[in-house]
Amino acid sequence: MTTKLAKTALRNISRNKRRSVLSGVAIGVAAMAIVMLFSLIAGMQVDMESNLKSYYTGGIRIRNENYEQYERFNPVHLTVDAESVQKVLDTIEEVDVYVPRTSFPANLYIEGTNFGAMGVGADFKKEADFIDLAGSLKMGHLPENGKNEMMMGAVLARDLKLEIGDKVTIMSTTAARGTNAITLEIVGLFTFPVAALNAKYFWAPIDRISYFLRMNGDTQEVILKVKEGVSELEAAEAIKEALKKETSINYDVQAFTEISGTYEMIEMANTVYTIMAFIFFLLGSTVIINTTMMVIFERMREIGTLGALGMHGKELVRLFFLEGMFISIIGTFIGVTLGIGFTLILGKTGIDFTESMQGIDFEISGMMYPKLSISKTIFVFFYSVIVASLATLIPSRKAAKIEPVEALRYV
Amino acid sequence: MKNKIITILILLSLLIPVTIFAITGEEIIRKADEIQVFETSEASGEFRIKDRFGEKVSTFNSWSRGTEESLIEFTSRAERGQKVLRTEDELYLFFPDAEELIRMQGSMLRQSMLGSDVSYEDMTGGKDRISQYDVVLEGEENVNGNECYVLIMTAKVRTVPYPKEKVWIDKETFLVWKAEYFTKSGRLLKEMETLEVEEIDGRMIAVETRISDKMKTDTETIMIISDLKINIAIDDEMFSLEELSW
Amino acid sequence: MKFLISLAFKNLTRYKRRTLITAGAIAFGLMMYIFIDSLLLGLEIESVRNLKWYETASARVLNEDYWENRFQRPLDINIPDPDSIISKLDKNGIKATKRIEFSGDLILNSFDFGEDGNMSVIVTAIDPKKDFDVFNFDSTIQQGRFPEEDEDAVVMGSWLAEDIGAELGYWITIVTRGNGGFYEAMDMEIVGIVNCPNPNVNRTLIMMPIAVADEYLAMEGASTEVNIKLPESADIDAEVIRIQNLLNEDNLTVMSWKSMAADYLAIAEAKRGGTSMILFLVFLIAAVGISNTMLMAIFERIRELGMMRSLGMSDKKIRIAFMFEAAGIGLIGSIMGVILGIVINFWIVNYGINYGDVYRDMDIGYRVQAIIRGAWNFKTMGIAFFAGIFISTLVAFFPTKRALKMDIPSCLRHQ
Repeated sequence: MTTKLAKTALRNISRNKRRSVLSGVAIGVAAMAIVMLFSLIAGMQVDMESNLKSYYTGGIRIRNENYEQYERFNPVHLTVDAESVQKVLDTIEEVDVYVPRTSFPANLYIEGTNFGAMGVGADFKKEADFIDLAGSLKMGHLPENGKNEMMMGAVLARDLKLEIGDKVTIMSTTAARGTNAITLEIVGLFTFPVAALNAKYFWAPIDRISYFLRMNGDTQEVILKVKEGVSELEAAEAIKEALKKETSINYDVQAFTEISGTYEMIEMANTVYTIMAFIFFLLGSTVIINTTMMVIFERMREIGTLGALGMHGKELVRLFFLEGMFISIIGTFIGVTLGIGFTLILGKTGIDFTESMQGIDFEISGMMYPKLSISKTIFVFFYSVIVASLATLIPSRKAAKIEPVEALRYV
Repeated sequence: MKNKIITILILLSLLIPVTIFAITGEEIIRKADEIQVFETSEASGEFRIKDRFGEKVSTFNSWSRGTEESLIEFTSRAERGQKVLRTEDELYLFFPDAEELIRMQGSMLRQSMLGSDVSYEDMTGGKDRISQYDVVLEGEENVNGNECYVLIMTAKVRTVPYPKEKVWIDKETFLVWKAEYFTKSGRLLKEMETLEVEEIDGRMIAVETRISDKMKTDTETIMIISDLKINIAIDDEMFSLEELSW
Repeated sequence: MKFLISLAFKNLTRYKRRTLITAGAIAFGLMMYIFIDSLLLGLEIESVRNLKWYETASARVLNEDYWENRFQRPLDINIPDPDSIISKLDKNGIKATKRIEFSGDLILNSFDFGEDGNMSVIVTAIDPKKDFDVFNFDSTIQQGRFPEEDEDAVVMGSWLAEDIGAELGYWITIVTRGNGGFYEAMDMEIVGIVNCPNPNVNRTLIMMPIAVADEYLAMEGASTEVNIKLPESADIDAEVIRIQNLLNEDNLTVMSWKSMAADYLAIAEAKRGGTSMILFLVFLIAAVGISNTMLMAIFERIRELGMMRSLGMSDKKIRIAFMFEAAGIGLIGSIMGVILGIVINFWIVNYGINYGDVYRDMDIGYRVQAIIRGAWNFKTMGIAFFAGIFISTLVAFFPTKRALKMDIPSCLRHQ
């Protein structure tokens, strides 16, 4: 019986191609839009997380045990022995890449006045595996390890009227809690995807910074990314243990999700995105429901005919359910495929998109790369099919109850 | 006649304390300032700086000429080669790795030197104190077995960092044994105390001084001067900007 | 023509269900569009408002040398007689208030805070009588009160208070340099904690009475700035010029909030690109929904169209009748949509979506004022209204045209 119904449903669909295509397209477009929006949101989330991991905390951050307690006092002398830490990290399987970093507040001495800025000491050779520094360069080249060079945020350089080739003397408090100054040449201007970084930061070779800040080759922190599929929380625990065993020093090892004030921001942003996604979802669903209901109401006369020919109410409902389901499967399939296609293209080229939460410093990029979530896409597919199929029930059940004669008169 | 004698005696008795205590607050300050000034001097010494993170020692060599010019060169490892040059109107810092001199001015002068309890401003201060402060001789006190005048100095202008100072100056040697620096409302900001003295060329010179910033917790800076030589020949070029960067 | 209109109207009322479903689709699409637009605009307006209400005011009078030295917060580059400026502005019906901003060190003692410490802070001295005329801090007080005019007391942003562990009744010391460079230390009691929706302010704010600051810092009546509130509708740039001419003083300058927040606005401008992207996606779905329903409605009636043609009605008239009908559906949908939009807008403008509830039981370190509010945008409503009618009519045009090209029998046979 069901096969017969299914055949009838298929025949009905192919007989009235235009109607089928129309409702299929509506469902498809809705599904496509939802897939794309989900990808966009996933892209934003991934982007925020990756910015956080790339420029701020890494996936896991290793610091001197007492650093956090005195963070307010800029304790440059509370360092980590980067070399021994890195040796230990090499032996830990979960670790993908690591870089030493030292960030410090500095005064830029320009024409007799001091300007506050933030410096980052980085190992430019190692950073190549960690973040795409070269890709963020707007002009010039990356500083070279061992040279008195720096690259500066493009916005900061603009504000201070500095250019490539200019030399800037920076002053800061050293690990010996004294003052020191060093002159660095600007060799590159960068635009990182995070606006705040471009307006306040300059980056210089970590060996020179370590020398300048009298850190004896130590660094303020070592940050690392873990291999795909590894939990940062667990890895952080393992690293802490290993470091204690190998170096007999207690380090402050934290996964980025534990570091206060950063991950919470992501969580909060996610809520906003979820609300947006939900509204979209609602809108998409209405389009699907509406189209499906419309189709059936328009076919009241047909229903009357079928009823007059002796088709039972239940069968009618089932027939329309199947029709709706088939159309939505085809429509959703095409829509989702298109959505995936567009997402993949946009994921490569990127869209110049900045999210619209203002007033809160989310670490979000100007360029957006949508990211496809397979599970969510599959969910959207089934959701759309189910919603469309269920949406047929409302009008068709009603139609099934009407007397055939009445239905025939129905226009 | 008798009346005359009485009158003279009365006058004399009135005059006696005047002549004995004739020295005014201003004069005491002037004398105290004078004994610290040499035509030229050369010394080496160290700063022992204690803060919440522990203690560290920085060593230096210094030269001076008159009241206005001085040069400090640090010799300890962490700041080797750094120099602080004070000329008549300016304060310059030289850092071996910096390609330009840093001229300290305005709010930059308020920074602490080497993370100590001494600000760059404290180093430039001291000149022309009499014209900037009202000095009142408040009395006498014994500080660590030394008879001292106690003076209260109240700023006449707003351009000095410390609106009120209380100083204890040795009655004989005019050495400053102790000084306290206050806000206008009398809140203690900084404290200076002489711990060790040495007689050089007939003058008492403080060679170990403790300074502590009362607005910070558990901090103090002890400055020790050794090998002080005075009135020696110093190259004129010593205090010029050109020489600073050799 | 009258006949055609009445025919369209009759059709609309006759097929009530179809009319309602189609119009419903249009209405829902428009409502969502209005809703999203309102939300996005609300966010933008809110952040600008937070800027003006708590940071920059509408405009500010400054010493002309102040702006380039603003990061040092110099006290000697000041406005010598702010009161005369304020009374001059007052006579011209402009609300203004003076403030002194200075930097200093905040000293925390272990007696109250458990541990000694110090940090650099920026202190704002306000005139408690007039400040609320210009800034909107009066409604932000979360605990305690604002200081009296001559009280040695401060209010603090709630995030700052949380960061340093401050509570009402604690004493803090602010060490700073007065006008001229002398040291000053002020012992202040925390009498109030404000929860300001502007996160930048909430993270840093320390406020004290200006009379007290004036005394301590030897300002002798001078202030570093005079802040001005202008009506929302005012042409800021023109007003700034007017005020500049009004004051007519050589060494003073008037800056609008726009020029003070230039960097911020540049970022906001970039973000607007993202907003339009979201709106476009919403519009796309709504438009597809509308066109689809409309197309369906026309196709389903080709037989009826054939009937009309066979009865001798001219193609032109049929087309006009169908278009009228579509426009009618569009009109009903648009009216419904805009009404629904207004209703939902009323809700999000006045109550907002409180997504902070999600975090109520979660300690996330920061207490964010997590209410997203919408804003009225009548332009969008107007656009949505006409777009609804226009899209419906436009979409009806093509299938009608096609149907009119078919011969009458195939029209009649059309399923």
